[in-house]
Amino acid sequence: MELSSGNTIETVTSDQDLRNETVGSDDGSVLSKNELKRRMKAQRLAAERELRQSSRVQQHQAAARDASSGNQEADEELMTSQQYFSHRCRVVEHFRSSGEDPYPHKFYVTCSVPQFIAKYSYLGVGERLDGEEALAGRIRSRRLSGSRLFFYDIFADGTKVQVMADARLDTAGNFATVHSALRRGDIIGVRGYPGRTKTGELSIFPVETRLLSPCLHMLPKPHQMLSDPETRYRQRYLDLIVNREVRPIFELRANVIRFIRKFLDERGFLEVETPIMNAVAGGANARPFVTFHNELGVNMYLRVAPELYLKELVIGGLDRVYELGRNFRNEGIDMTHNPEFTACEFYAAYLDYKDLMDLTEAMLSLLVKELTGHLKIKYHPEGRHALENEVEIDFTPPFKRISVMDALREALPSELRPLFPESEQLGTDESRFRLETICERVGVVCPPPVTEARLLDKLFGALVEPKCVSPTFVCDHPEIMSPLAKWHRNRPGLTERFELFVNGRELCNAYTELNDPFVQRERFLSSQRDADKGDAEAMAKDEDFCTALEYALPPTAGWGIGIDRLVMLLADQNNIKEVVLFPALRPRPNSDGDEAAELRDRVQDLKVKE
Amino acid sequence: MRPRLLFLSSLPQRYWGRFTNPSFCLHEASVRSLRRHGGKQGHSPSLELLASDAAPEHSAKVQAATASSAAASPAPKNARGRQNPNIASPESGATANNLRVLRSARLEKVHAMRQAGVEPYAYRFEVSHSTQDLHQLFGDVEPGTIRDDVHVSIAGRIMNRRIFGKLAFFTLQDSSGTIQLYLDKQRITEHMQNRIPESFSRLKQWIDAGDIIGVTGSIRRTEKGELSVYVKEWTMLTKSLRPLPDKWHGLTDIEKRYRQRHMDLIVNPAVRDVFRKRAQITAAIRRFLDTHGFLEIETPALHQQAGGAEARPFVTHHNALDMDLYLRIATELHLKRLVVGGFDRVYEMGRIFRNEGISTRHNPEFTSIEIYQAYADYGDMMRLMEDLVVQVLRDVHQGVLQVRYQDTELDFSPPWRRVSLFQMLQERTGMDWRSTALSLEEARALAHKHGCPAGDARSIAEVAVAVFESLCESDLVQPTFVVDHPRETSPLAKPHRSESGLVERFEVYCAGRELANAFSELTDPVDQRERFVEQSARKAAGDLEACDVDESFLAALETGMPPTGGLGIGIDRLVMLLTNAPSIRDVIAFPLLRPTLEYPNDGSDDAE
Repeated sequence: MELSSGNTIETVTSDQDLRNETVGSDDGSVLSKNELKRRMKAQRLAAERELRQSSRVQQHQAAARDASSGNQEADEELMTSQQYFSHRCRVVEHFRSSGEDPYPHKFYVTCSVPQFIAKYSYLGVGERLDGEEALAGRIRSRRLSGSRLFFYDIFADGTKVQVMADARLDTAGNFATVHSALRRGDIIGVRGYPGRTKTGELSIFPVETRLLSPCLHMLPKPHQMLSDPETRYRQRYLDLIVNREVRPIFELRANVIRFIRKFLDERGFLEVETPIMNAVAGGANARPFVTFHNELGVNMYLRVAPELYLKELVIGGLDRVYELGRNFRNEGIDMTHNPEFTACEFYAAYLDYKDLMDLTEAMLSLLVKELTGHLKIKYHPEGRHALENEVEIDFTPPFKRISVMDALREALPSELRPLFPESEQLGTDESRFRLETICERVGVVCPPPVTEARLLDKLFGALVEPKCVSPTFVCDHPEIMSPLAKWHRNRPGLTERFELFVNGRELCNAYTELNDPFVQRERFLSSQRDADKGDAEAMAKDEDFCTALEYALPPTAGWGIGIDRLVMLLADQNNIKEVVLFPALRPRPNSDGDEAAELRDRVQDLKVKE
Repeated sequence: MRPRLLFLSSLPQRYWGRFTNPSFCLHEASVRSLRRHGGKQGHSPSLELLASDAAPEHSAKVQAATASSAAASPAPKNARGRQNPNIASPESGATANNLRVLRSARLEKVHAMRQAGVEPYAYRFEVSHSTQDLHQLFGDVEPGTIRDDVHVSIAGRIMNRRIFGKLAFFTLQDSSGTIQLYLDKQRITEHMQNRIPESFSRLKQWIDAGDIIGVTGSIRRTEKGELSVYVKEWTMLTKSLRPLPDKWHGLTDIEKRYRQRHMDLIVNPAVRDVFRKRAQITAAIRRFLDTHGFLEIETPALHQQAGGAEARPFVTHHNALDMDLYLRIATELHLKRLVVGGFDRVYEMGRIFRNEGISTRHNPEFTSIEIYQAYADYGDMMRLMEDLVVQVLRDVHQGVLQVRYQDTELDFSPPWRRVSLFQMLQERTGMDWRSTALSLEEARALAHKHGCPAGDARSIAEVAVAVFESLCESDLVQPTFVVDHPRETSPLAKPHRSESGLVERFEVYCAGRELANAFSELTDPVDQRERFVEQSARKAAGDLEACDVDESFLAALETGMPPTGGLGIGIDRLVMLLTNAPSIRDVIAFPLLRPTLEYPNDGSDDAE
């Protein structure tokens, strides 16, 4: 994994003048009306911006342009992004009119770039084979040496290979046309001989080079992208092209998901799919998204968790089921929350939460070992660039196990401990009063509605969670915090539940499932009372589910994990946006609908700042 | 909280309106099983059930409960749209009452068990074997032999009880199948004396059909040849409060099977096989793509702009951002952005949402897979489609490429037939729909003549596709690639390399249904913009399925997308074909159903 490697992108170094063209103004080539309209608008925006910016950068650019007038490729470097775009559109039109297809239907690739490297890395310096291979990829850098020798680095599948295009080898007869049109960012296909140059670089020596898809925009440089994270997420494809450390994160993500599926499949779990749109949102305490089904004329809610449906399947006799998919919560966006997120839930009949602790230890330690090679991983809670802030997370089983109430009591200052309610006392006004007092004394704020569950949650979040760096099972939550968990077999007032905390954050949540339909109804009702008090996240009663429970749910243990958070840990990322390809973002301010034009502005702005 | 001891009288009254599920008519069921079991007095499971359920010591409380429930408020409106249909169905008050009696009797048992110190909702049970394991391991045990050297521990649901004095036979069902429990009074009493006194009569008293229990014991095959677990100890794991539905009833009332899938799964083991096969199919597809270098990706389900297909989207609202979002109607545009970003082979298998009617072929949310491969064209995608289906059949159908679907045999042996859409249309209608001489008015009239209303079609191409769908689709029984669609109906496909006015696209048809859709993807941003603008004009003219100009997608195309082939397959429809399911609802665990009528005041059957 090349997570830490830097980016080295060479820029065009040529000072050769291939063709003399005027730059920066629109040409007279035939365009569709819409295309023309759009370009005019973009031009207008560009002009306005240029007026706004009376920076020295502009003057500098103009000076530079004058100094090297007649030098087209150097000029391209200095163009505004809008000028560059118009220029490239014209080149493509020109290319088209000269009988070449800038967007061909098909290019036969004989092997991928990584395969090519693996296959031919044995070649010695200066050696060249006769057999042909065909590769394709995106140009990362382009260098020329006269008009008859071009060097390209092309990237595909996260790896690089050099193309050394020599006019003497070309058999396609369009060497000059093609190579003068190619630029950094273009997708090309090359067919030719594998070999190694005299300087020892593994290369392909093409007999034919084809433009497969031109890049009309100036590709940003890595440091430009880094300076504006929003652009990276909004235009993830640019991020993937420019920043080499991004791709491995999503390969890792796919591997994590594949590992979990394999782990569960091997243990007899059946993957199922349950509805995302429900007439009632249940299974977790969260605010749901609402939508409307036109034909049925009913409101529907996007699921906050698949829990209740999965338990119905266990009632139906599918003893071990899991679902890995998207859940939705209508909440704010921050470093750890995206409105849609991926979770895996599984249910296993005849097991209890203790069995699941063992299973969790097995799954996570095997997963971490297989995907990172170690059981201990380094993590940077303040971000990968805050190196001084490093923690080590140890996934070696067994994980630490602590009880919620005991851990909370111990975390309190000794004078407050007697005030802390016993688990049997929870659910009374007195214990709520005591918890409120404790919160006040230790300076924990609980915004209304002030329910015991929320008070405990806030206290726990402030006092205990930050201490759980290496994986820690936090067990036996009070009933009032866990409407779907079964009462504890030995400890009154508590449930058989655990949450796994890693790096101070909840990663897994599991319990022995409540399968007594009457107790379940009571819990729903008390949750309903919280909702009536104004807790919009309290769970709504699901009568269908209660009815299903009356058909007997076997003793069952259920478990859920947040995939995004797991990937964050393993990829050493502290922002969920880094592990979600297209994270939800605030709508851009002053968006006038012409997003692309604005995107161009943004790239331009970056360029100017440079 | 201690487990609450729930007396009937302590229950909130509102519960009682719900426990009048008359369709699980024990009446008929018992009569039938009486006949099945030769009507041996006292030995029929149903008689036994009824006898114990209506035991005199319970009747007083039962009556009290009935009386209190008469005042029950109307039950709350259905929660999940899967409203209990029984409430609305006109059943006689007598059977409803019967059910209530049975249920309250079971509640009494819950109470009795807790009084005797036995928890009716256990925490865990150690299972050593599945019933299938036992049939495999002990298939060769001779009739009349006991294998007391083995120890087995199994758990599951009691489907059937037969009691003969000091001997009882229960049928236990787990997720893999069923097995008989051989319950001998002396043996059980001996092994359980320390745990539950009089454990055999407790067993008879407490355990009803529908309960989940666990047993340990050895293996015995009866004289009649029935492999059984020779039980030493039993444990109540979960007490069921409702009797199992009658098997035949479940089969006839199709709607109810979908609304109460858990019951469908209990009484129809074949349904479980459908979902097992569904999981095998998706696993096989993933395995195939993973080994071919494709990366599984997750793109958003909530979009700021709906696109990638022609369909009406669901709208929702994000509170914190205060903006409307659309549930995705396709994954296409995001996956293509990733191909631009250098992921040359990607796929996403996931849920898609379309705000349209429900039918045997359509569920508003369904599962699809979209696959993109750089440097491939639609010809490559045809081969990929064939290879993928062959691989799936190898994994889930023992490699047999012929599949029985309803009344026909489908042959998936490649290569599949390829026909041009317009050629097929010409053969069927006897005229050339691409002829320049044809006007839109004439096309509409022709469509009308063929019994296909195409009044709102805006181009000849749209009329032609509509006529194709209504005339030709049903003829496409064997897997067939229908290729080369008109440009107007395919805004994301690349122009055909040799036929003007057409695009490089195919749809796979099988059993008269569309199964997959694929293109050589349009990569030219100028052309794509024109297509979007045409779409947006249609939207402005009132076409709810048309999309807008997606500027951010165009910006991605302008960055250069390699020539790419894309393929989308409807997973539900594929599963239907391979599980011989006539309706999409058979392959979706919880299909969306029309909400049933408002609850009538279900006090009606309490008021008798």
